Amino acid sequence: MSGPMPDIRLRAVVAAIALVAVSGCGPSPITSTRIESAVGPTFANLVHVQVSWLGLEPMAASAFAVKARCRKLSGSETAGAGDWICTVAWQDPDGRPLRDTYDLFVATDGCYTATVEGDNVGGPVLRAQDGSDVRNLLYTFEGCFDTT
Amino acid sequence: MSVRGLVAVAGVECSKLAAQLKVRLLLAVCVAGPVAFAAAIRAQSSVPADTLFGRSVKESGFAVALVVLGFGALWVFPVLTSVVGGDLFSAEDRYGTWTTLLTRSRSRGEMFAGKLLTALGFSSIAVAAFAASSVAAGLLIVGPQPLIDLSGNVIAPATALRRVTLAWATVLPPAFGFTALAVLVSVATKNSAAGIGLPVVVGLTMQLYAFVDGPETVRRLMITSAFGAWHGLLAEPPYYRPLVQGTLVSATYFVVCVLIAYRVLRHRDIGGQR
Repeated sequence: MSGPMPDIRLRAVVAAIALVAVSGCGPSPITSTRIESAVGPTFANLVHVQVSWLGLEPMAASAFAVKARCRKLSGSETAGAGDWICTVAWQDPDGRPLRDTYDLFVATDGCYTATVEGDNVGGPVLRAQDGSDVRNLLYTFEGCFDTT
Repeated sequence: MSVRGLVAVAGVECSKLAAQLKVRLLLAVCVAGPVAFAAAIRAQSSVPADTLFGRSVKESGFAVALVVLGFGALWVFPVLTSVVGGDLFSAEDRYGTWTTLLTRSRSRGEMFAGKLLTALGFSSIAVAAFAASSVAAGLLIVGPQPLIDLSGNVIAPATALRRVTLAWATVLPPAFGFTALAVLVSVATKNSAAGIGLPVVVGLTMQLYAFVDGPETVRRLMITSAFGAWHGLLAEPPYYRPLVQGTLVSATYFVVCVLIAYRVLRHRDIGGQR
């Protein structure tokens, strides 16, 4: 009776490890769809906050009609943590179409840092209507999304 | 095993802990560290931009508490939870006091449970002191301004305080998991250096894995992933699945480590007794 027990336990452990290994080899949960769904609304919300910080007439985040398209930078990979590039198409408060490009670093836990390429959105600090300096929320921003 | 016996053992262990300089020093660091950090942030022009909420530390005191929380996950929580848990059992081996302890009217089960309870109690107090100091330092030194969350929304101070408090509370399950791991190493190796050091090394190794884009399932099985589960609470809409998974993983580490540690201690030959 005591003989086969270690064998059964060993098989159970090997089976558990194999299960974890097999289930872990699936595609990465960090996909362009998830990143675009996170970056687009976050960018729109930040524009909304930035407008109020600058002392401009307030506008709803949806009024900026933000659309983000993202792709992974390295080779043929279409998913996974690392460097990504996102193009954000939006409208300024006057309704003019704008397009900005962001370099993203996405960590394995789904948190990312986005830094703008070029100076379309201005430098790290902006001058408000009242003359005070405010941080440019669109220069570099961060966020997280669910990877489960 | 009786509750009275457990409480008696825990009471004795707590009074022993309260007399230790390292324990008092550690709690003092938990309280003073965030205050010094917030004061340094206020005094200098640069910000910890490479950390979540690092860019906002001058704009909202809540961001200060979250930056400290993110920093704590790297190695502070494994250290805080191992210092007591990793030494409580092996200290008896070091001083050769097991035989004295077990001649008392307390069983081996009561001894184990009392010491485990003490270790968990210390981990809770240390995390609570660290959390309270971080929030208080942020609010008093930087201020209770609204916070911009991880989806770009502005959160009112009352909501921010609730979410930041919840975020700090989410580190308790993995902290207990680390405490149990430290207890296991302490019981199994009879060595305090291993009991304290090994869980910290395990924590750092798991953190390093998070930098590698390896299998997602393996990353989720790392107990350190649970230290970052609070991110979902600061997003809009909030997401809770990483928190649920992290808590389940932490509970599994806790149960497995406690069961093995108890089994090892119960079957150990101490002074000719088993």
